[in-house]
Amino acid sequence: MELLEYGFMQRALLASLMVGLAAPAVGVFLVQRRLSLLGDGLGHVALTGVAVGVLTSTAPVGTALVAAVLGAVLIELVRARGRTSGDVALAVLFYGGIAGGVVLLSLAPRGQATNLDAYLFGAITTTTGADVAVFAAITVVVLAVVWLLGQRLYAVSDDEEYARAVGLPVLALNVVLAVLVASTVVLSMRVVGLLLISALMILPSAIAQLVGRSFRSTLYLACAIGVVVSVSGTAGSYYTGTPSGGTIVLLAIALFLVVTAAAALREATARRRHVRRVEVHAAHPHEHGEGCGHRAVPHGDHVDYDHDGHLHAPHRTGTGTHYDEHSDHAATPPVGTERP
Amino acid sequence: MTDLALRLAGATIGYGDVAIVRDADLTVRRGEAVAVLGSNGSGKTTLSRGLLGLATVLGGTVEVLGAPVGRQREHGRIGYVPQRHTVSGAMPATVREVVGVGRLPRLGLFRRPGPRDRAAVAEAVDAVGLADRLEDPVAALSGGQQRRVLVARALAAEPELLVMDEPTAGVDAASQAALAAVLARVSAAGTTLLVVTHETGPLSGVLMRAVVVDSGRLTFDGPLAAVGPVAGADCHHPAGAAAPPVRGYRLDQPRPAPDAVRVRDGSR
Repeated sequence: MELLEYGFMQRALLASLMVGLAAPAVGVFLVQRRLSLLGDGLGHVALTGVAVGVLTSTAPVGTALVAAVLGAVLIELVRARGRTSGDVALAVLFYGGIAGGVVLLSLAPRGQATNLDAYLFGAITTTTGADVAVFAAITVVVLAVVWLLGQRLYAVSDDEEYARAVGLPVLALNVVLAVLVASTVVLSMRVVGLLLISALMILPSAIAQLVGRSFRSTLYLACAIGVVVSVSGTAGSYYTGTPSGGTIVLLAIALFLVVTAAAALREATARRRHVRRVEVHAAHPHEHGEGCGHRAVPHGDHVDYDHDGHLHAPHRTGTGTHYDEHSDHAATPPVGTERP
Repeated sequence: MTDLALRLAGATIGYGDVAIVRDADLTVRRGEAVAVLGSNGSGKTTLSRGLLGLATVLGGTVEVLGAPVGRQREHGRIGYVPQRHTVSGAMPATVREVVGVGRLPRLGLFRRPGPRDRAAVAEAVDAVGLADRLEDPVAALSGGQQRRVLVARALAAEPELLVMDEPTAGVDAASQAALAAVLARVSAAGTTLLVVTHETGPLSGVLMRAVVVDSGRLTFDGPLAAVGPVAGADCHHPAGAAAPPVRGYRLDQPRPAPDAVRVRDGSR
């Protein structure tokens, strides 16, 4: 492949691979916690960090990381104090971060301040070898923490009050999650830019949740989707000459729309099939039993009836006999279990 | 090791600096099954949340399993079933995953669940009659089944004290019966139950003792049967004159000197 011959494209693809993997791994917890925009807020704060780096002529990636982590811890402490809502704290962070960044950058010597676009919208092709090393370290740390604490982060994101009641270290876990978000923000800075950072955290999770059955499978699927859109978006931007960040995000949104439509279609089909079956049942208003014309299928402690290609398990209810759909014979339900 | 599951002495519980429950005295021995009754806004939920550290103890003593609230050294000894109608969050999760969260307090900070923990989760799900739904997404379950998942989550830690907030509200009859059976079994195994509710009907076979909260005060403490049907209704004077307590202790308002109204354990 032509694009792999260039060193800058190799580094760009490597960076987008790491971002695609790490961002959704953190993002699923934010979606679960209904704090999808936390990444955006911390992205704004990171801009102040970038400005500090430009002013002091230190590596902006390092100062951005420090600023984002400080902002992340701050917002969790404000939330924990309970005097300001998370929503308002987030807003203060948003505006304070971007205002601080703009003001500080204006103080920088002419010529350097024009770098702003590269941080706002991403400039993946300018990624240096040193940047890639920092990104790799962040990716390993983020994935390791998610692997180690994932179930606890899920618990706190899902039901914070319950987690507090049973003695889980809620504040510590929230701070850990916020620091993970901050790290991911800095990691994503070069690839999608500070203004689009939340997209890579949230969109893959939003797509995966339409398909997943368990939290774990949703997490894995979100990471897979993240890698696919991130790498293909970066590669595509090489040929189209468009900015990598915007290309990746548009790809993710297109995928989101396709999957949403497919999920809606599947649901509609299932509903139609259900209605058809109800009509069949209405046309056969008899109770299944010996010689009812339907094939009897003994199953565990009861007998199912083969009814138009699917199995019926009769059981008595207050109003008469009800038939459960037994399409999946995974286990014999224990006595006293009803199906919805 | 104390034989008291709960000890409240002159306890005032509230939020911020607003007192909701005032000057409450209550002792519950291990193994008791107690209903906390009262109308909406009476403070019964605040009382239960005070035991869990979710509301602030503003005065007096609140000891849970022998330790002041929030000073529990070992987590997982207190199970909690919040008043919540559904389990489903923004992301999909299976019954096993939601119930697995209940086991976390037993695992400390970093330990990953082992075979013993997985068995406890499976047992808890089995106990609420959802063993065949272990791998199903919770969003696919009915409301009553989702409430049973929350009960299983609390049971997964194998708690010594189980605090439940309105476990039967808005639950279909089949799930209520299943719930009553679970609680009977848990109670028989020695777990202390504290059930906040405004309807004792579905659980009348399990709960022996009742405490009535009215306007932030404990106004009755005695056998559940002695409360009479009045407490079941959503009225403001559950322990009113219409239902004179048989063997309970009517606590009149304003309360006399604390010694005279020492709330004793209900007979059980």
